[in-house]
Amino acid sequence: MSGFSTLTALILVPVAGAVIVMLIPERRRELVRPLGVVLSLVPVPLAGGLFLAFERGEAGFQFVERSVWIERLGVGWHLGVDGISLLLVVLTTVLVPVALAASGAIEHRVRLFVAMNLLLEAGLIGVFLSLDLFLFFVFFEAILIPMAFIIGIWGSENRIYAAVKFFLYTALGSALMLAGIIALALIHREQLGDLSFSYLGMLDLDLGHSTQRWLFGAFVVAFAIKVPVFPLHTWLPDAHVEAPTAGSVLLAGVLLKLGTYGLLRFNLPLFPEATLDFVPLLATLAVVGVIYGAVVAIVQPDLKKLVAYSSVSHLGFIVLGTFALTSQSLEGSVVQMINHGLTTGALFLLVGMIYERRHTKLIADFGGLASSMPVFAGMFLFIAFASIGLPGLNGFVGEFLILVGSYPTLPVYTVLAATGVILAAVYLLWAYERVFTGEITDPANRQVSDLSIGETLVFVPLVALIIVLGVYPKVALDVIGPSTDAVLERVEATTGYEAPEPGGSDLVASGSGG
Amino acid sequence: MTGVSYLAVAPEIILTAGAVVVLMVDVFARPSSRVHGWLVSATYALVAIAIGFQWRRVDLDGPGVSFGGTLLLNHLSVTVRAILLVATVLGTAAAWRMLVGLRRRAAEGIALIMVATVGFMLMGASADLVMTFVALEVGSIALYVLAGIMRSSPAGDEAAMKYFLLGAFASAIFIYGGALVYAATGSTDVNEIAARLSGVHVTRPAVLLIGVGLIVVGLGFKVTAAPFHSWAPDVYQGAPSGVVGFMAAVAKIGGFAALINILTGGFERYSGAWGDGLALIAAASVTLGTLLAIQQSDVRRMLAYSGVAHAGFILTGLAAGLVGISGVMFYVATYSVMVVGAFAAVTAVSGQANTGSSFEEYRGLARRSPVVAAVLATLMIAMSGMPLTTGFIGKFQVFTSAWEGGYEWLVITGLLASVAAFFFYLRLVVVMYFRGDEGAETTLVVARSIRWVLVVAAGASVALGIFPGPLLDLLNGVGV
Repeated sequence: MSGFSTLTALILVPVAGAVIVMLIPERRRELVRPLGVVLSLVPVPLAGGLFLAFERGEAGFQFVERSVWIERLGVGWHLGVDGISLLLVVLTTVLVPVALAASGAIEHRVRLFVAMNLLLEAGLIGVFLSLDLFLFFVFFEAILIPMAFIIGIWGSENRIYAAVKFFLYTALGSALMLAGIIALALIHREQLGDLSFSYLGMLDLDLGHSTQRWLFGAFVVAFAIKVPVFPLHTWLPDAHVEAPTAGSVLLAGVLLKLGTYGLLRFNLPLFPEATLDFVPLLATLAVVGVIYGAVVAIVQPDLKKLVAYSSVSHLGFIVLGTFALTSQSLEGSVVQMINHGLTTGALFLLVGMIYERRHTKLIADFGGLASSMPVFAGMFLFIAFASIGLPGLNGFVGEFLILVGSYPTLPVYTVLAATGVILAAVYLLWAYERVFTGEITDPANRQVSDLSIGETLVFVPLVALIIVLGVYPKVALDVIGPSTDAVLERVEATTGYEAPEPGGSDLVASGSGG
Repeated sequence: MTGVSYLAVAPEIILTAGAVVVLMVDVFARPSSRVHGWLVSATYALVAIAIGFQWRRVDLDGPGVSFGGTLLLNHLSVTVRAILLVATVLGTAAAWRMLVGLRRRAAEGIALIMVATVGFMLMGASADLVMTFVALEVGSIALYVLAGIMRSSPAGDEAAMKYFLLGAFASAIFIYGGALVYAATGSTDVNEIAARLSGVHVTRPAVLLIGVGLIVVGLGFKVTAAPFHSWAPDVYQGAPSGVVGFMAAVAKIGGFAALINILTGGFERYSGAWGDGLALIAAASVTLGTLLAIQQSDVRRMLAYSGVAHAGFILTGLAAGLVGISGVMFYVATYSVMVVGAFAAVTAVSGQANTGSSFEEYRGLARRSPVVAAVLATLMIAMSGMPLTTGFIGKFQVFTSAWEGGYEWLVITGLLASVAAFFFYLRLVVVMYFRGDEGAETTLVVARSIRWVLVVAAGASVALGIFPGPLLDLLNGVGV
């Protein structure tokens, strides 16, 4: 088996990194962050290797590793990667070093900070790779601790409130999911003879319609809080605003994707009949989220809050695409998960950098910054364009696929959601105008230094990926397509549902590619 | 069948002998704490060996009874002894500084700890209601005295008095229940009761029902199940913190073992009825314990109420009957280690005396003592049931059994309570890590014996949480 134990290594390398960092003696503290960045770079080639070795056109799980973990409880150390999870793993490994490299402002308890980020990375990768529901839950829940620490120790004034709110909110969701997982495992034993949490085994279960509905409900709450789907989003602005830059980057970049990933990985394939029942509800909430998030973002006086609410809006698109249940919409959802991770991650980095310089995030305190920090302004504009979905950049591919894919099945919802694209242009470009253009009114804004070389370098991987995915999305779509199609086929095979023929998928892919 | 097997009580004999030797040596010589240390270590080592022999015997010959059918020698009773021994070793180490501080009365304290363990070990082995009562009293009375052992402290006296009065009341309820069961069935031997109940029409069902109910209430007191928990916070707060962890652990281990022995041994036939009863008590315990723990401003009281909630989780597993027993024992064993460790940490921070231990005292502890803070945080996270700790594996098992037993509502209640419980467990972590960057940087000095307990408790909670396999294998035979 090629790639044997690469997946395990992807989880264990960051853990080992965290241990190494904690062992650095106190008097060599200046070494901590550089070493942390280096350690967090180790998984990048591992994930890159996976991406290169990944068999295109193959829908199933690859590089599968399976061994027993807790035999008595039927728990397996069962890992695998498919088109849905592969790019999310790559995204995670890229964002962590970026987040650590951009955390120069963290001056106290640096060892613990780096260790917590690395543990968070291990947990996130674990969630994406788990093919055992018990294992999945362990990682899903375990990441709460490093994230709560990151917000609670290194956040701004209201950090403790935000950390506790984040923790309790998301723990509430996963508690019900645990009940669902226990129920599924017991059904597995009843139908197939052994107590097991194997994801692949769960796919073979014969679940009645009402059982599916209950279980769908148990899972969907956990994921909807994580996404977050309106009206369960209230923890998000607090967490984002209080979190340090690295925390915001990983929270928006990867953590929120656990929700959308979970919906696509578990809710759709495991409970297809219930999925069809829930489409109207979730599509409605998704569209409300798109518009609500965008409108609230427009009126935010705080730059970081603006980006936080833009996440609510963007994630609404992903949920819409997921429940539109067409080949393109599902593909678009996964692409958009990656896109959002890159662009919003970059936006949070930018907000963090300007906060370090001016110690304010209020839009009203800025103005005319383009003249004092032109590189920064250019970077912001570029990322804003990517986030808005300017053709040629990554955001366009995802949003276009979602909208084109969703229209055949959910026309009204799609039209309403499309206004979110326009609103995104409003809040981001208006923010750009107020922050960067015009005359400098506040003298403090005259003294601000532009991006240093080091800071610019931090953006290089993100900008490169934004352009690559925008110009040549085929690299991503080839990986994603077969796996999302398999999800759709499963829904079609187990219910009477028939998805509309994928008409424009190739056209879109090659169209924006060429 | 009714023979006398000394192996069946070997651990108890050794412990009693150890207690006597410690007291006698104290009378004739004036031993240093080092001598006490050696005597205690030797006694515990011998007990461990005896438990090993018992396990072997059960493996070879199967379960048996001795002393006229009053004492069981089966996997469960041996496991209970092993868990009690672990709790006692850790508890003694945690209390060591306090015991040494008693100077001339150190031997008393040591002997009381040993005698309490003897009582609860017998409770776990007892198959007769009268025997259970005697064992319960042996263990409980030793604990009452331990609660007040620091004579100088009024709070300790109050705690001891309260514990004694309410505990004696609970014992009386228990024995009254035993009397009613005897009235209904004509026996106090649980196996005999089971035999008489099978197939025969019970002439006084109400008497039997009340009798079993009172037995459950009496034992519910000992394990701090709601609504019989009201003594726990005052006692945990007032008693010397060195022994509180030990008290909390051993009383729960013995109490739950007795519940299992009596309910599944004597009344398996009516498991549906007592299962529902236990489920109600469990639901009350998890909700009340959690809600009241949230409101506490004292760490010891918080831990007391969290103990109420934990009793509820354990009962959740027990409600399902026999299927849940190995999971219940896993929970009891791992909780015991956590609670002894947590009180050892409280001792390290707040001192041996009972001056109160408000959350404020833990402010910025991560700075003052990274080790104690890390251990206490680990234990709180483990108690809250986060994955990768024994707390999660324990909760997972009791929830699975309860779901299997048809108590879905109880599982949901328990899960929601677990989320609410994050609030107070996390609060301690917040105080230790998220607050208090400024302020005094005085490093906390921690006694070596306590440091040892802390590292073992936290290490075990994580190691057995990640690799619970060996412990699960060991406990698997317990339910049969």
